[in-house]
Amino acid sequence: MSKYSSENITLMQYIFIISGTQVGIGVLTLPGTLAEKAGTDGWLSIIIGWLFSVLVSIVIIQIMKKHPQCTIFDISRKYLGKWLGRAVSLSWVLYSFFAVVTLILTAIFIIQVWILPETNSSSLLLIFIVPIYIITKGGLKVIGRFSEFVFFATMWMPILLTIPVQNGHLLNLLPVIKEGWWPILSAVQATFLSFLGFELAFVLYPFLENKKSAIKGIFIANSITLLVYIHITIISYVYFSPDEIKQYIWATLNLIKPIQLPFLERFEIIFLSFYLFVISDTIIPYLFTAVLGVNHITGIKGYRIPLILFIVMLMLITNILPITYEQVMQLGEWWGYIGLILAFLFPIIFWIYTGLYDRLLRRPKS
Amino acid sequence: MRFLKSLVRGNKSYKSGEQAKEVLEHCVSTNLSNNLMTIKHLFTEMPDLVIRNFTISQTSEQAALVYIDGLIDKVSINEHILHPLLHEYRSNQTSSHPLVAIGSTRSTCSWLEIEDALFLGYSALFINGRSECILCDSQGWPQRALEEPQTESTLKGAHQGFIETAKQNIALIRRYIPNRELKIKELKVGKRGKTQISILYLADVVNPEVLREMINRINDIRVDAIINTGEIEELIEDNSFSIFPQLLVTERPDAVASHILQGRIALVVDASPGVLIGPMTFTSFFQTVDDYSTRWIVASTLRLLRFLGLFIAIFLPSLYIAVITFHYEVIPLQLLLTLGQSRAIVPFPPIIEALMMEIFLEMLREAGLRLPAPVGQAVGIVGGIVIGQAAVQAGLVSNIMVIVVSMTAIASFIIPNYDMSTSIRLLRFPMMVLAALFGMVGIVVGTMTVVGHLLSLESLKTPYGTPIGPVNFADHKDTFIRFPMWKLDRRPYSAKPKQLTRFNWDKDSGE
Repeated sequence: MSKYSSENITLMQYIFIISGTQVGIGVLTLPGTLAEKAGTDGWLSIIIGWLFSVLVSIVIIQIMKKHPQCTIFDISRKYLGKWLGRAVSLSWVLYSFFAVVTLILTAIFIIQVWILPETNSSSLLLIFIVPIYIITKGGLKVIGRFSEFVFFATMWMPILLTIPVQNGHLLNLLPVIKEGWWPILSAVQATFLSFLGFELAFVLYPFLENKKSAIKGIFIANSITLLVYIHITIISYVYFSPDEIKQYIWATLNLIKPIQLPFLERFEIIFLSFYLFVISDTIIPYLFTAVLGVNHITGIKGYRIPLILFIVMLMLITNILPITYEQVMQLGEWWGYIGLILAFLFPIIFWIYTGLYDRLLRRPKS
Repeated sequence: MRFLKSLVRGNKSYKSGEQAKEVLEHCVSTNLSNNLMTIKHLFTEMPDLVIRNFTISQTSEQAALVYIDGLIDKVSINEHILHPLLHEYRSNQTSSHPLVAIGSTRSTCSWLEIEDALFLGYSALFINGRSECILCDSQGWPQRALEEPQTESTLKGAHQGFIETAKQNIALIRRYIPNRELKIKELKVGKRGKTQISILYLADVVNPEVLREMINRINDIRVDAIINTGEIEELIEDNSFSIFPQLLVTERPDAVASHILQGRIALVVDASPGVLIGPMTFTSFFQTVDDYSTRWIVASTLRLLRFLGLFIAIFLPSLYIAVITFHYEVIPLQLLLTLGQSRAIVPFPPIIEALMMEIFLEMLREAGLRLPAPVGQAVGIVGGIVIGQAAVQAGLVSNIMVIVVSMTAIASFIIPNYDMSTSIRLLRFPMMVLAALFGMVGIVVGTMTVVGHLLSLESLKTPYGTPIGPVNFADHKDTFIRFPMWKLDRRPYSAKPKQLTRFNWDKDSGE
């Protein structure tokens, strides 16, 4: 029995935590970003991005498989020694917390732009942090349940997003690969940011009940994310003309705007409010990772103290940083770069390193 | 000082509780008059204690019958204990056991046991020369007839409710489950009250860990006495700071039986008509016994209606406030005009208007609850006319707000469980404040908080949110929609039963 077995998660929870982490703000921005770089062929970049993330995910599981009761924090210490291991753990904590900051600031920014232009950001943070605190405090068990809930409770969103298709033109998508492969490949990097979240397998793996299906699970999680992104991208490209879409930052919200019911207009206000569920589902696993890392580095027991620490830091940051468009975009970009290093490159390098380490140093002993 | 003490505790009484305790640890003596002396010392200032001295006709031994008047059944004392002992003589009597025409008797020599038994309505028979006392079950106290519980009436189900006697209540449950696997564990709770608590469960179905958890928690209770089931509920539930009830209190035997059959544990508390059931899930508070006796399509629709009622009861006023205060662009023009016309004369912001009406409604409801029926009607009429008409005509409240508040009230009454419906009604107040401050965002964040809290709740260490989170697809057969009876072949997973299959289980080797 390991120290993590008290908080076991089922395969379904594991899948939904990962895909819930991946699907976040990307849904709102990805169509626009991809259109800028790759035109209407952007959806092909998503498939390539998916391929990469699935490969790296499998690499991550390969690393974790050797030590089924350990998180990345334990493993890095095993392989890199006390201090270097600690440095790696710390960088994971910082990375996760950076993701939390970016996501929360972006969420607040979107709320301010689209729904509540007059409300100040600290009070928005103050109420937004309450559910996040309650759920994260409950540990992975509650996070898993919440992810399941969010997945099933937001099923209506893709259906709603399909409605605009009736006014679209499929011709907008053609011809496929009109400017060659280069623009498509150059847009792949932008999709990496949207697929970030699979790296949490580094932390989730020891909690998983049925470790044999870890690879299957992470594959399904990545594929759910792929479907969500492909769905929204293709619908935006079908609905908007190839030139029009480049003008929108939040293309998805513009897509919902024209939807009308006899008693409801401006659907994007309601959609975006409920989208906070999806965004918080991205924030919470990252926050949990950061908390777990702090627990591991400092030896503090329980999630409450690190959690409160992080929340105080968040409050300070929102008060210091002005939440503007440039700021949010800048943060997102940085997160993309750091994510590229920590989520895509680190697992591969670490995998090679652990492989060599085991081969060169362990063999004589056994 | 001594005088004062004797005044309070009675003249012949032992000087202190400790002295009495010492006596209680002793055994019954062989001398009848000694025993009666002890009793008189133990129970002073108790005029309802009856000691009847007589001679047994069969053996001409000196004997005394002791009981507490009012807790016993006079007929059984007179006809079945005293009469045979005084008058009957049988030559072929060989056993030393005296002739008593009572079903349940036991002999004991412990004073402690005698004391407890006397207070439970037993009568104690002391016989000279024997170092033991015979306790006869002669219980009988005033109790009401079986009637349908007021808070849980049903259309097609049984019209019996629990009463204040645990024995009767257990019998009512046994009538539904005549199975030897239905086990009863008896515990006593309360230092002074010594309330009898019976735990009922199906031994081959219930999850042993859940049962152990329940028993441990009851054993950990430190109180003076338990007056009502609700007190036990609060003492053993997982999170007392939660707004949601985590255990169910019901007065319906058929409901208890069906929960026991689902693998849950029932707690019968003596002297209280409520039976506690656990572990529960959030969604099971929205099910009624009637669901299973109406056609499944109708029952499913009704259940969905209840969940719709849940959402309306929590969100309707806050949605109205959010839309009127922040997002009027969401409403189509035609509807907006209607709303505007209605609100034009109202001098308050919507939140004040809503709070005023909602608080008044809650008062009206609470006032009507405790008043005798004829006065309660008057309250309803006054409240209805004041709220419905005068406030609108005076221009204090808009018409639409009256409609919103009434719809909320109706929606909250559709929730079948009283505890849950009260909790749900309370939830709409914070939601309204959030809506007034942050609009839709506030409502969604509030919802997230409630959902997060719900999902982190546990009932006897089993997740409260099943089958919503953790998701369990099999349990969805009987959650929002009730599948036809023959489809419900498995017990709900939420109570983690050992034996999942409901029928055919004797053929399954594994179960």
